[in-house]
Amino acid sequence: MTASALTRPGERDRLIVKFSEIDWTFCLVLCLIAGAGAMIMFSAAELSWTPWAAPHLIRFAIFFVMMVIMAMLPLRVWFLSAYPVYAVALILLIGVEVAGDVSKGAQRWLEIGPLRFQPSEIMKVGIVLALARFYHGMSADSARMSWWLLVPMALIAAPTLLVAHQPDLGTSLLILFTGVAIMVLAGLSWKLIAAGIGSVMVAAPVMYFFVLHEYQRKRVDVLFNPEADPSGSGYHILQSKIALGAGGLLGKGFGLGSQSQLNFLPEKHTDFIFAALAEEFGFAGCFSILFLYGAVIFMALRIASISHSHFGRLAAAGVTATFALYVLINGAMVMGLAPVVGVPMPMLSYGGTVMLTVMIGFGLVQSVRVHRYSEVTSGRGALL
Amino acid sequence: MSEPTIFFSEVNERQGAFTRRAFLLGGLTGLGLTALGGRLVHLQVLEAQRYQKLAQSNQFNFRLVPPPRGLILDRNGVTLASNRPNFRLLVARESEMDVEKTVTNLAQLVPLDDKKQTRLIKDIKRAPKKSPVQVMEDMSWEEFSRINVRAPELPGVTADMGEVRVYPFGGAFAHVIGYVARVNDRDIKAVRDKGLPVDDLLFNPGFRIGRQGVEKAFDLDLRGKAGAQKQEVDAQGRLVRNDPEGDIPPTPGKEIRLTLDADIQQRALEVMGEESGAIVMMDCRTGDLLCMASTPSFDANRFVKGLSTPEYKALAEYERKPLLDKAMSGTYPPGSTFKPMVALAALEAGVDPKAHINCPGSWYYGGRTWRCWGRHGAQDMHNAIKNSCDIYFYQTALKIGPDAIAKAARAFGLGGIFDIGIPGQKKGIVPDRAWKKRANLKNPRNQIWFPGESPSYGIGQGALAVNPLQLCVMTARLANARRALNPRLIKSIGGVDQPHGDAVEDLPYPQEFLDYVRGGMIAVANDTSGTAFRQSQLGLGDILMAGKTGTAQVRSYDKVKSRNSASVRWGLKDHNWYIAFAPIDAPRYAMAVLIEHGGLGGGTAAAPRAREVMRVALLKDPEIRARITQPMPLPELDPNAPVEGAAPGEATLGQAPPQPAAGTAAPTSPPAPGAPR
Repeated sequence: MTASALTRPGERDRLIVKFSEIDWTFCLVLCLIAGAGAMIMFSAAELSWTPWAAPHLIRFAIFFVMMVIMAMLPLRVWFLSAYPVYAVALILLIGVEVAGDVSKGAQRWLEIGPLRFQPSEIMKVGIVLALARFYHGMSADSARMSWWLLVPMALIAAPTLLVAHQPDLGTSLLILFTGVAIMVLAGLSWKLIAAGIGSVMVAAPVMYFFVLHEYQRKRVDVLFNPEADPSGSGYHILQSKIALGAGGLLGKGFGLGSQSQLNFLPEKHTDFIFAALAEEFGFAGCFSILFLYGAVIFMALRIASISHSHFGRLAAAGVTATFALYVLINGAMVMGLAPVVGVPMPMLSYGGTVMLTVMIGFGLVQSVRVHRYSEVTSGRGALL
Repeated sequence: MSEPTIFFSEVNERQGAFTRRAFLLGGLTGLGLTALGGRLVHLQVLEAQRYQKLAQSNQFNFRLVPPPRGLILDRNGVTLASNRPNFRLLVARESEMDVEKTVTNLAQLVPLDDKKQTRLIKDIKRAPKKSPVQVMEDMSWEEFSRINVRAPELPGVTADMGEVRVYPFGGAFAHVIGYVARVNDRDIKAVRDKGLPVDDLLFNPGFRIGRQGVEKAFDLDLRGKAGAQKQEVDAQGRLVRNDPEGDIPPTPGKEIRLTLDADIQQRALEVMGEESGAIVMMDCRTGDLLCMASTPSFDANRFVKGLSTPEYKALAEYERKPLLDKAMSGTYPPGSTFKPMVALAALEAGVDPKAHINCPGSWYYGGRTWRCWGRHGAQDMHNAIKNSCDIYFYQTALKIGPDAIAKAARAFGLGGIFDIGIPGQKKGIVPDRAWKKRANLKNPRNQIWFPGESPSYGIGQGALAVNPLQLCVMTARLANARRALNPRLIKSIGGVDQPHGDAVEDLPYPQEFLDYVRGGMIAVANDTSGTAFRQSQLGLGDILMAGKTGTAQVRSYDKVKSRNSASVRWGLKDHNWYIAFAPIDAPRYAMAVLIEHGGLGGGTAAAPRAREVMRVALLKDPEIRARITQPMPLPELDPNAPVEGAAPGEATLGQAPPQPAAGTAAPTSPPAPGAPR
């Protein structure tokens, strides 16, 4: 297949062409990360495929196929489904508020028939799609500063507040930051950005004292002084830091980490899997994983920047922003730089919902890449 | 929206803005990742060692292994205090442990009544996490194995084999050795107050600390050093595996050997029977204490377990004071056993021992009548000691004054405290003019020594108070050819010999003075008219004992005429004393016997007991034994004499019995009248 062949009309709509247009390097990196996750789970389960490593890999395989299929969906489909997805997610969030299942002190889960899922995860994709679609029909001037900006702000605020009320501070922040990132990418005025940062500076203390739950406040306190309460709230951070430090340059070796093997490290297969990796594979292992994450982010941003449609650009960049936030927040938390919020390391951590969200996101990114030349219907002010 | 609404410029503007902002976002993410990388370098490269240590301390627990407490032996190696196995049941609180349920489960395996359960639940909840609380000790083997089998299903529950102190002689050595008991907050505070670090052992459940006597004084020597067992544990503190290579073996406590002799001590306790009092014996060549018994005693093993309040109350409130070590912590008037000191002081003061003082039975001086216990007639010093004549010593004491008497008494150890290693000695009072002044600081008119106080001083009464140990030392110093011997109780610690008590200077008294006084004491026990003649016969051939009786009154008899009537209650009866040494030709053993409120005379109550204990000591001594059992040179067995056909062995047995005591022991004269003082 030559480049000239691709210029022929209709050529790019052929499935085989679409398939070949998927960024396979990107996919390889994803596989590496998921594989590393499975390896650590295998070790943490005392060298056993169950209960984590095998399901993790199977799940990844299924989601990977799903991602490939989604990558071939025309961008237009994504574009048209943007608002409906957002709307459904919002309704479900309200549903959770009304009839959610309470687990670990938070109302996050919703059960519909045999399905049991967190609507907040759908919202992570929904917010990206909705904002991308909204900005798609917006002029640069309006995106910079205009009353129209109240619409994306409302789109962000509604799910953020609903999720925060569950309460799931981590996801709520993730939605907020993702939304803000898209607004910034779309060309938000620097004045407004500065004003936003300023108001956050004022609001943070107010939030801390009046809005945060007791356990969340404790987590923030512990962040600044983890040694003060080594057996209570500081336990997670302290044990995680010990695991990281004990790994040293090259790690203790596969299956030899005492912190994870002897259960000193809590949540060793989920939120703190990075610490388990650090203990057994040391600085070398950590650095490699961070490099892979950096590569994913870089490649995704590049895909965003080559898209011809504004929707594609913003959607791909929004997904990238979510992903980058996952990595940074989890990394900072594990290394004792951020409070313990329930944000896993994407692809590496055990857990189906987050992986599903991320893989759907990457399906969207790949779709943007595959359909980078296609123009999506424009229409200023067209809300639907 | 009929016309194209988005123009190229606008498209370009949007795209341009996006690209710039995307670069920014990428840059920020890169910055964030770099920061994480930097943090990794910090944690994993720069501070790796610190965290590796922390990980290790997470991974490994060192379980304290208590050392076996050092044995306490008598001079011949007989065990006086040792350790026996003790099966214990411990519960350590773990996170998310249902304490109530665990205790209920335990109650099905071992007897635990409701009261105990409630207390246990409180204790476990109050104890710090993972530090074990003792539920039971001295479990039977069945209970122990039952718990061990079920332990895996009962988190936090362990059964282990510890050791607990045991005193095979029960009460015989209770006052000297003391006992061990559970550590309490005061013990820990006492260590902290001294500015010393608190040994982790003290917090080990079931650990016991020395509370009295040798156990207390040498607690650190006996305790040893704790070892450690290296264990790999998981986050819940459950044992994953042992790591024997990392174990640190405990250092056992040092073995302490006392100078006491278990046989002599046991005999002393036997002869005391129900009486309250003390028997102290020492070797007057070396100063080694061979016996230091105080009666009635208590079973030290009860204290190890922990005494119940009524039990303790019964011991503490009994009028014969079982908890008091009467051998060194009780002080009593010595009565007539003090007369040798007065005699010595008189000789030193230049009194002619041959001069006679007439004893008509009473003596009027200072507005009152001073009575003697008999009517002795003309007495020189020798006879006055032998007969224990009060009139002689009333007048002699008055003549030489209190300071001379006190000087002699102090030189012989009265009023002194000896370094025998264990605390608790009471020094008593040896009065003189300076003491009178000190004792009456608030009452200036009473500060001078009145002459009327001297006569009673002369017979060992008045303010004078001594303990049996001091009297034994006095006897030993009199007996041992003038050396100022010190007593020794601790023979060796951990195999290291302790200094003897005989590295001392001579007493500042000429030999002939001592010989003269000793002569009087020999007469007491061997002259047929001596106050304790009948009671001092050892029946060991030419091995003879010397002594001095004493009967010390504890109240004034001015108003009550009858002294020892049965109607007088125990606490008002006289103390009975006997001090003795043997053999008289080459003294080896000196002793003092106190029968508190014995109510008889020193000769009747104390002397026979002294004799029995002395016999044990003499018969245990191989050299003395050789002297006793050696066949007498008999003319019939002369090799030149014709052999009569009878077997020589029979002849020896028949004609030369090893104990030719029958002749000497026969009462050739009537017993001394009345109770000798």
